[in-house]
Amino acid sequence: MTGPFPLPYNTLVVAGGMAAVGCAAGVVGCLGVLRRRSLAADAASHATLAGVALALAATGRRELPVLLAGGLLTAIGSLVVLVMLRRFTRTREDAATAIVLGVSFGLGITLLSGMTARGIPGSAGLEQFLLGQTAALTAADAMLLGCLSVAAVTLVWVGLKEVVLVAFDAPFAAASGWPVFAIDTALVALLAVMVVVGLPAAGAVLVTALLVIPPSAARQWTDRVATMLVLSGAFGLTAALVGVAISAAVPRLATGPVMVLAAAAIFAASFFLAPKRGVWARWRQQRELQQEWSRAGRDPTQAPTKAAGRSGP
Amino acid sequence: MHRWTPRRSPGRAARLAGWITCSLWGALWAADVAAAPPAQAPTPLRVLATTTVVADLVRQVAGDLVALDCLMGPGVDPHSYKATPRDADRLARAQLVVASGLHLEGKLSELLGRLGKRLPVVSVADALPQNKLLELAPGLYDPHVWFDASLWAGCPAVLAEKLASLDPVHAPDYRRRAGEYAARLQALHGELTTQLGAVPQERRVLVTAHDAFRYFGRAYGVEVVGVQGTSTESEAGLNDINRLVDLVVERRIPAVFVETSVSDRNVAALREGAAARGHAVALGGRLYSDSLGGPGSGAQTLEEALRSNVATIVAGLGGGESPATGSPQP
Amino acid sequence: MSRPQPDSSPHCLEFHDVTVAYGRRPVLWNIDLTVDGPGLFGIIGPNGAGKSTLLKAALGLVPLAGGSVQFFGQPLRAVRTRVGYVPQRETVDWDFPVSVFDVVLMGTYARLGWFRRPGPRERELARDCLARVGLADVANRQIGRLSGGQQQRVFLARALAQQADLYFLDEPMAGVDARSQEQIFAVLSALRAAGKLIVVVHHDLRSASEWFDRVALVDMRLIATGPAAEVLTPENLQRTYAGPLDVLDELGRAVARRERTP
Repeated sequence: MTGPFPLPYNTLVVAGGMAAVGCAAGVVGCLGVLRRRSLAADAASHATLAGVALALAATGRRELPVLLAGGLLTAIGSLVVLVMLRRFTRTREDAATAIVLGVSFGLGITLLSGMTARGIPGSAGLEQFLLGQTAALTAADAMLLGCLSVAAVTLVWVGLKEVVLVAFDAPFAAASGWPVFAIDTALVALLAVMVVVGLPAAGAVLVTALLVIPPSAARQWTDRVATMLVLSGAFGLTAALVGVAISAAVPRLATGPVMVLAAAAIFAASFFLAPKRGVWARWRQQRELQQEWSRAGRDPTQAPTKAAGRSGP
Repeated sequence: MHRWTPRRSPGRAARLAGWITCSLWGALWAADVAAAPPAQAPTPLRVLATTTVVADLVRQVAGDLVALDCLMGPGVDPHSYKATPRDADRLARAQLVVASGLHLEGKLSELLGRLGKRLPVVSVADALPQNKLLELAPGLYDPHVWFDASLWAGCPAVLAEKLASLDPVHAPDYRRRAGEYAARLQALHGELTTQLGAVPQERRVLVTAHDAFRYFGRAYGVEVVGVQGTSTESEAGLNDINRLVDLVVERRIPAVFVETSVSDRNVAALREGAAARGHAVALGGRLYSDSLGGPGSGAQTLEEALRSNVATIVAGLGGGESPATGSPQP
Repeated sequence: MSRPQPDSSPHCLEFHDVTVAYGRRPVLWNIDLTVDGPGLFGIIGPNGAGKSTLLKAALGLVPLAGGSVQFFGQPLRAVRTRVGYVPQRETVDWDFPVSVFDVVLMGTYARLGWFRRPGPRERELARDCLARVGLADVANRQIGRLSGGQQQRVFLARALAQQADLYFLDEPMAGVDARSQEQIFAVLSALRAAGKLIVVVHHDLRSASEWFDRVALVDMRLIATGPAAEVLTPENLQRTYAGPLDVLDELGRAVARRERTP
């Protein structure tokens, strides 16, 4: 029924592409979360819409690489504007991010509806970039996304020490002579690239979820950065595959939002079940401590030592 | 020279501002009144059509007797078209608004409903007998009726009556032209049936981006499958693409078709899936679905567009005929 | 901006006419200060006097509105690997997923350079520094699970791992329990004995006279500098702090008492 493949060909293509994107988004998103740049990534993702529309208007071509390139330009442009707003005006960080997000998104929607209203060739269906259009992924598209994802993860692996240093203690890094602004800029640029790569998966509105939810879930399980990266990539990959599997089984279900829901389910499970930090684990620890103390109440020499108390969260 | 110092007399400044504001409002109101259409219209009647298909209908029935304007241009998707304030203005200034109806102009329906209370609005497809329509859900009908030429032939008369009521001077002309057009449509219907008869029955499967061609399928004996469903608003899921690949491969369908007003990315994925299973599916060509073609496309009227579609389909599915023209331009 | 030269001058740290402003508001004004090593040098002053700013200006963390700072007779960028830094604890995210050992290892990064990973030699150094501050047993603990004193010692260990000749510490004793303070002071004394110069921004007058060899009194300007006993006189303290007289009197007496002991 499916020819030489164990699964339908389209499912395999979409699964491959989405697995790569989900994994890379999880890994790169870790750094964004640690450096607290996730909101900037959200602003960048909303700005991609204008770039996609402009790319189509300027070149008349509808191939994915062209449209994504346009999206990347406006994503980076919006981040530049964000940095300038924070440096040269007295706008606070959250207000500046909201301004950039709103204005660039508004611009994108205006361009998009203007183009579809004028019937510009190829503009029909551009709004699929809002929520993703995974079902329409061709093998060439999936290869492109896969290569970009691999490149992104490689960059993270190479520059991990520098980014973690800056994310953890920027003043110390600066005093040690590291170019903190340059490293920060490189990280944010990588986030922008990841946002664009994730556009066909989940669309401009949801792609930030793929960058934020897997790292947050991974954080529940570990206190080491390297482990967090690996887990986050694994969670992103799992969410992607679950999303693809469900939308392959159920008719009329868009893949992108299901991927995000799968990621959210993983996060909820982590939140409750993770050892040490999870809600259930903490409740158990509380109970054990209470039992120990109530036993100690009967015999003071059995009181828990200070060191044992310290090992709590 | 007298120096005007507003701080010394705030009352005078406020009064001046008040007078200026009132005069501006008065001027705007007067202009609006002057631009409003009188009750009984002298020729030519100002008619605004929503889609290119409906505009073609008006042109066929009324010709030069009315001043025709069209809201959506060629290649525009009427399912998702949202009216801008300028459009609302154009609609309000018309003396007659002609829409397709049956919720084709999904996002305009509320606006049209409100307009209908102030000026004449006619939705031509709404007047067709319901037993001839394809039902999608209780009370909701497929709006793509113009693909069945014999069904669309019922619309000219509806339009002619409305025009006659607004412009009685030319009533006989409207009715005559409507009758002639309806006859041409019936003739076209027969012509298309014959052409499509050249395609063997088992290969008469039309796979397109969205489900616009159900009336076409029913009228001319073609099985139609759309990737996205009846409205372009819903997104195709992976499951839908897989099912279509199965269909295309099992039935050995030689070609699939894209539409001028809908995204063709789904169709590209579909063709790849079929190719992976060893069945090469050609891109049959572009069909006119929710919109006619622009100037120079060779499909600016409904008759031309339908002929072009059928020629493209027949060529793609292997009816032995060479295509009439090249691929259609949006 | 002077060109890098060999250590022509014996001074470890020189502030030449340093002025720092936040916007139009001056925070430091015309600071001329020379510090020679080895030793424990304290920077003392009331809150908001610009003490931390003086450190940050030296390290290039805040821009100089005027003047320059020289390290071993050269600009900072020529001798970065010879300067260690322990910043204030507030700047750090304590929920960050790093262990004590990871943080100390970060002190070795500057010498490694771009993209190279720390190897066995760096790990050995980190373990050694942890032992010197007495934190060897919590090496694998996540940094949020430490007491204030332990956190401060982690940062000190990180600075030790930088293997510098000149150390800057910004309020290292703030919010730290007495025992940890003693431990920290012991480490700093050991550094001094090894020939290093340690410059500390300190908040507490009482302990300042006990710990530091020389101090500088700063309140936007340099009020006085020199050996602790000479500088921490009631008159100078009054000029700087303008606080209740009896406290300063008592301090003056305490300083005088220390002078008398051999």
